[in-house]
Amino acid sequence: MIEEVRRLAKKWLESRKVDAIVGLRENNGYVAPYLFTETGELERLVISSHTSDIIPRYSMFSKSQRYKKNILYLLEKKYPKAKIGVVARGCDEKTLIELAKRDQLELEKIAILAVACTKEDAIDCRCPTPYPTRIDVGERVEGVSSDMNVEALLKKNLEERFSFWKHELSKCIKCYGCRNVCPSCFCEDCKMEQDLWAQMGQLPPEIPMFHLIRWYHVADRCIECGECEQTCPVDIPLLTIFKLLRKDIKDMFDYEAGSDAKQESPLLTTLDETPLKE
Amino acid sequence: MDTHFEPKIIAFCCNWCAYAGADLAGVSRIQYPPNVRIIRLMCSGSVDPLKVVKALYYGADGVLVLGCHIGDCHYQTGNHYAQKRIAVLKRLLGYLGIDPRRVRIDWISASEGDKFAQTAKEFTEEIKKLGQLSLEGKFS
Repeated sequence: MIEEVRRLAKKWLESRKVDAIVGLRENNGYVAPYLFTETGELERLVISSHTSDIIPRYSMFSKSQRYKKNILYLLEKKYPKAKIGVVARGCDEKTLIELAKRDQLELEKIAILAVACTKEDAIDCRCPTPYPTRIDVGERVEGVSSDMNVEALLKKNLEERFSFWKHELSKCIKCYGCRNVCPSCFCEDCKMEQDLWAQMGQLPPEIPMFHLIRWYHVADRCIECGECEQTCPVDIPLLTIFKLLRKDIKDMFDYEAGSDAKQESPLLTTLDETPLKE
Repeated sequence: MDTHFEPKIIAFCCNWCAYAGADLAGVSRIQYPPNVRIIRLMCSGSVDPLKVVKALYYGADGVLVLGCHIGDCHYQTGNHYAQKRIAVLKRLLGYLGIDPRRVRIDWISASEGDKFAQTAKEFTEEIKKLGQLSLEGKFS
């Protein structure tokens, strides 16, 4: 499959369809986002996969602690006229749509090289939609519809949920990994770093304030990529809440993040535009 | 030991309707429980859900968000946002194991002093039934 991606990327670069392609490059067993401009470099282009032993997983939209903007945003700012190709899986495509909606990217300047995930990857990610809307490479496979963690949480009563989260959240070491890796987080002034909402450096963090900031803030734009949960060094099941909230927002407002670039988020519109169904 | 429980309730009131309604309740000498502490804001739309959770975290047992009726907002649509945000927040609190009934959003106009007193009474009764929350102690 990766050969086909490389061949297509080469074709795009040679025909000047795009000026450069952003993808992950393998380097001595590590991967990082890279801007491919020469066709010769493309043999090190890889796709992040959970099930591969060789390629570690990496999110293309990871940010540094200091610059809270993803690589595509920075590239667009630096080269405003360039047309950039992006090797994107289903979740990456949803991210691009969601970021474009919030003025972080311009979709016209991006060409998506859409790759469908394999069944094994989908199962590993617990991903309900492991395919982009338009597929260039790969076969569309059905996703996983049920989630163990979500079902387990819904079976608990309020008291049990409380003690479950108390146990899980007290493990947090405040590495900010979930925020840095989240494709939907892009605020430069992050509330997780403001003493007003959560004391900096206090461990364990103020439970549930610290995590609730992100849970609430990303509620209407989470695209269920699961990067936060995967990156968490102490295995807090953060995605469980996001999956539930995403479903709630679909029930209440008929809105799914990352599906339609024209549909405005319901939390940013009035009741006349997206009425509340409760 | 005295086990009588008096809940602490924070009411975020918008400046134009709910706060004026509370004012009217006071001027009209309508009795309502002293458990309700009012915080005046310019609009219910400026109630960040995190403010609600912070109030709960630092010892409130229930939070009321009171604003103008839909359509009467001084800033046209501030209360539309408040309603949606609190709806999402209530679901989130439920998943975390905090009873969503501890947060309530309601609309009170400047002329509804009696409705303010009634809401305060009902909510205080409800929180008394739910019992003490004390997140700070429970969680850490």
